[in-house]
Amino acid sequence: MADTLNKMLDPQLNRRGFLKGCTMAAAALGLSETMIPKLVEAAATAERPRVIWLHFQECTGCTESLLRSSHPDLARLILDIISLDYHETVMAAAGHQAEKNLHDTVDNHPFILVVEGGIPTKDGGIYCKIAGKTAMDILAEVAPKASAIIAIGTCATFGGVQAAAPNPTGSVGVQDLVSGVPIVNIPGCPPNPVSFLGTILHYLTFKRLPALDNLNRPLFAYGRRIHDQCERRAHFDEGRFVEQYGDEFHKLGYCLYKVGCKGPETFSNCPTARFNDVGVWPVSVGNGCFGCTEPNFWDTMTPFNERLPMVKIPSAGIVASADKVGKTVLGVTAAAVGIHAAVGIGKRIIKGKKSGDA
Amino acid sequence: MATYERHYCWSVLLRLFHWMFALSIVFLVVTGFYINNPWTNTMIEGSASFPMATMRYIHYIAAYTMASAVLIRLFLYIFGNAQERVWDILPISKRNINNLKMTLLQYSYISDKHDERLGHNLLAGLTYLFTFFAALVMICSGFYMLFPEVTLLAKWGGILFGSQQSARYLHHLLMWWFMIFAVVHIYLCIWNDCQEPEGLISSIFTGAKFKHRA
Repeated sequence: MADTLNKMLDPQLNRRGFLKGCTMAAAALGLSETMIPKLVEAAATAERPRVIWLHFQECTGCTESLLRSSHPDLARLILDIISLDYHETVMAAAGHQAEKNLHDTVDNHPFILVVEGGIPTKDGGIYCKIAGKTAMDILAEVAPKASAIIAIGTCATFGGVQAAAPNPTGSVGVQDLVSGVPIVNIPGCPPNPVSFLGTILHYLTFKRLPALDNLNRPLFAYGRRIHDQCERRAHFDEGRFVEQYGDEFHKLGYCLYKVGCKGPETFSNCPTARFNDVGVWPVSVGNGCFGCTEPNFWDTMTPFNERLPMVKIPSAGIVASADKVGKTVLGVTAAAVGIHAAVGIGKRIIKGKKSGDA
Repeated sequence: MATYERHYCWSVLLRLFHWMFALSIVFLVVTGFYINNPWTNTMIEGSASFPMATMRYIHYIAAYTMASAVLIRLFLYIFGNAQERVWDILPISKRNINNLKMTLLQYSYISDKHDERLGHNLLAGLTYLFTFFAALVMICSGFYMLFPEVTLLAKWGGILFGSQQSARYLHHLLMWWFMIFAVVHIYLCIWNDCQEPEGLISSIFTGAKFKHRA
């Protein structure tokens, strides 16, 4: 802790921090330790890949989580191994100069495009404009020339919070608008910086993108279900649950399944990679997983403290839990059966017994 | 007095399908409710009780039983006897469409006439076909949730259901259909047995129905 201040102010990444960051990325990628020198070599080459970082509809939380990690090495390593030509939050240039940097890179150099934020498409995309141009236009101009696109955060991958029903601005993720360029999705709200760094280093080392799942998420980070790697899993199998937040079972660290943890539905490396360099993630600090790496999680994972989404009854405006709706329908069915039987008996009483009936 | 003839109606395989399906539904619903909302709280750490693991184990055994039953029914829909094949219950012939009309009239107490027929009436047959497809959806969503990391299932599950959570939601909502179906099915079997004594209920044990001698 002694040299924290010194390290924070030191613009240079020291060798120890550099190797540490590379090792973390290798661990996240599941690479053998023998691959670390290759990773280091790739990260240390003079030719740093140019990166354009576009911000659209978002909260800048993904950038914040990257830059404000308690341990600065990761962010510094990322900024050290890439040449960040355009990034609205951290670039020094402003106005025409910034625009010039963007166009210089787009027109004259190969580059990796990182997109943070959803892209509104309704009404010609007027809901997000930068330098007088809509997000759609900027993406259409920059994306086809990129050698690869990394969509960081749930907004850039699946539309995020602004795409939640009724999606007033028609927000979508990058993969819905761009084709013909390889896209890697790194969803999360925010995603783990290690997943981003791992993807970049994989690209630098092997000159290709990591293996992806059906949602274009790198398998090294999103290949496994949170529930199956969770440290509270034993409590789940042995039937020990938190009944409500703050109760005695919560204090004992039992499974958060009954207070709506979405770990069984969510794919991410949170339980193993963890956050903020202090080894925490939502479940470890007693909050259920919200499922932020999954498509449409604002719609399908809410209410966050319930297991299942609410049922919307069309045109009635009624929202109820799935079981309540089920019980109601089953009750109506049972009542209908009772009425049907009663009508039959009534009819028989009025008409009298048919001859020959047993 | 009426005179009756014994007619062989349901093969052993169909009766096996029926009871595999019926019993698996009972176990799946009970354990399914537990898995969605576990009502026990063990509280004793280090004990040898695994209520959730046990319930899930029973759920999976029942699920494989149901999947096997559905495969049997699929076989019988194509290669079964005259009553079991799918075209016997599809409204594609004059005889079948007429049966559907007469069944609807009889069920709504408008007519007392019963369309003589050895196999399912059309209304029942179509409901069973719908339940067959509902079971297929349950099997697909179930296996998608059970094996989320198998590439093929992850791909097709993603295409069919969108996400694990959507699959779980559909799996849960569709479960209520099976309960509603059970209530209506049992009621209408008893009702039909009262309306037209042909040994309908015993036929699913013995395979034989009794029809008036022509």
